Amino acid sequence: MAKEFTQLAHAVRNLRRRPTRTVTLVAAIGLLVSALVFALSFVRRVEAGIRTASGRLGADVIVVPTGSRGAAEDVLLDNAVKTFYMDREIADRVRATKGVARVTTQTYLATIAGNCCDVPETIVVAFDQESDFVVAPWLPRALGKRLERGEAVVGSESAFNIRIGLTQVDGRLFGKVFHVLGVLEKTGTGLDTAIFVDEKNVGELVRGGTARPPPGAISVVFVKVEPGVDPARVAGAIEDSIIEADAVARRDVGQTMLRAFGDVSRVFAVTFALAAVLAACLAWAVFTGVANERIREVGLMRAIGAKESHVVRLFLLEVVLVGALGSLAGVVAGTGLSLGLVKGFDVLRSAPAALGVADRLAIAALGLAAGTAICVVGALSPIRSTRRTEPLAVLKGD
Amino acid sequence: MPRLVAENVTKTYGANGTAVAAVRGVSLDVDRGDFVAIIGHSGSGKTTLLSILGGLSRPSEGRVLFDGRDLYAFDGDALSEYRCEHVGFVFQFASLLGALTARENLLLPARFRPSRRSAEEREARALELLGLVGLRDRADAYPAELSGGQQRRVAIARAFMNDPRVILADEPTGDLDEETEADVMRLFRAMNERSGTAVVLVTHDTELAGQARRRFRMHRGSLLEA
Repeated sequence: MAKEFTQLAHAVRNLRRRPTRTVTLVAAIGLLVSALVFALSFVRRVEAGIRTASGRLGADVIVVPTGSRGAAEDVLLDNAVKTFYMDREIADRVRATKGVARVTTQTYLATIAGNCCDVPETIVVAFDQESDFVVAPWLPRALGKRLERGEAVVGSESAFNIRIGLTQVDGRLFGKVFHVLGVLEKTGTGLDTAIFVDEKNVGELVRGGTARPPPGAISVVFVKVEPGVDPARVAGAIEDSIIEADAVARRDVGQTMLRAFGDVSRVFAVTFALAAVLAACLAWAVFTGVANERIREVGLMRAIGAKESHVVRLFLLEVVLVGALGSLAGVVAGTGLSLGLVKGFDVLRSAPAALGVADRLAIAALGLAAGTAICVVGALSPIRSTRRTEPLAVLKGD
Repeated sequence: MPRLVAENVTKTYGANGTAVAAVRGVSLDVDRGDFVAIIGHSGSGKTTLLSILGGLSRPSEGRVLFDGRDLYAFDGDALSEYRCEHVGFVFQFASLLGALTARENLLLPARFRPSRRSAEEREARALELLGLVGLRDRADAYPAELSGGQQRRVAIARAFMNDPRVILADEPTGDLDEETEADVMRLFRAMNERSGTAVVLVTHDTELAGQARRRFRMHRGSLLEA
């Protein structure tokens, strides 16, 4: 039994009549969609990285010395090695602020490669284990003990730098050998290159190295607010009452970077819009040619009983097939590019996690819809003119 | 009541001083089972009259009734339905879709009215008609793989696909050899006698016209009894 003759089969036959033309249009849509999928994957992943980094800091409010907000963001989100200090007494004043539930402090010391330490230039973070709620969440499993003097945990990239698991598990910091007990999960933030020690090591480290923080100084106070309290409000209260400190609510951390990255997204969007116009023009040109070429055929179809809607559906089906096929190829190519080129972009390499299946599916769906829609929009005008073809054309033999 | 009636139909092309009347005041009744031949020279208005009867070209004056209803009072979709369900066209020029096989060209008008028969019935009908025009074994050939005469036979078979009540045939045997021409005329007569399908045959061949029961001559747009 022969296969049933459907409108889809008819559309496919029409497309196969001119393979070069069809493939050209499919390729154009495919290139456009692959660029879109790649750009969206890139933007989404970087944004997710920034948000995750900001969100997993474990604090609702971060308090730093006045004027150090930018430096703190650089350290926490962008692997920068910067130090800044304030008096430890500020932590007590923060703790006393209304709405504050918990505080913990950290002190940042900078290493210098090849001089004091086995590791490249990085931040050594001395933290208070008693009150900590920032570092511990990043340990894949609990240490089972407190860090003692001479013991450390390290960020994932620092672990690589000092070759933990290969030949060496001890590192020299500021002239003192530290035994590394654990490695934090990859965070995509400055934590990845940091080395964490208990704050009771600070005195010895300062004596043995080049770091010269003021005695008893701290760099950051992390704050957990009470349930239901707005972190921004607490941050405002801290800034109002402690003139020596800047306070950043968690939502604010990384906003500068997100805003800057928003500009990159807009550049992608403008580029895509221009390419989309080009693709739509190409679809218009191709389907105008198709419509002119088929005037007689359409006239014949109308003469033997096709309604305008039959003709429109047939053409629309061809357009949608081309658009969908091109978009599908573009989604595959764009996804492949975004996976294959991860190593080519620092910002992607350091992102905490790859895009999830849901994100990938959403981007793919958007790519499919955008590619198909652009093709349809480009072909609308020729389809409208085809619809008006008079059936009489076939009788005249035109 | 006659099935297809043209009442004082005139078709004028152009306007004012340059207007040309292709059809002038033609009246014609085509009833069930009729076999009408219209002969005339090229440019006498035969094809224009056929297009008016088939709902393809609106007359400038007069009206065309089908089962008592004015065809040109129909909207576009209703006219398409009329052409699909009640009329089988055989055109003067090659009229197959190049992307479709002979079988699919026959199935095309049936697809515009899919509820009438099941897919299997449509398939069987297409193959039956191809058999009647001697092309059963060429069902899967594309038009480019068929001779001009074979293409014409496929187009004739397609005209019968939806069991129309009227066949409007414009020089249907123009490029057929004598034997095939005889086969085609036999098919027209058989369908005419067996199912009462009315046939309106436009030709310049008086011998062919002689096989019709009623004959008319078209001269400068006017229809005359022959």
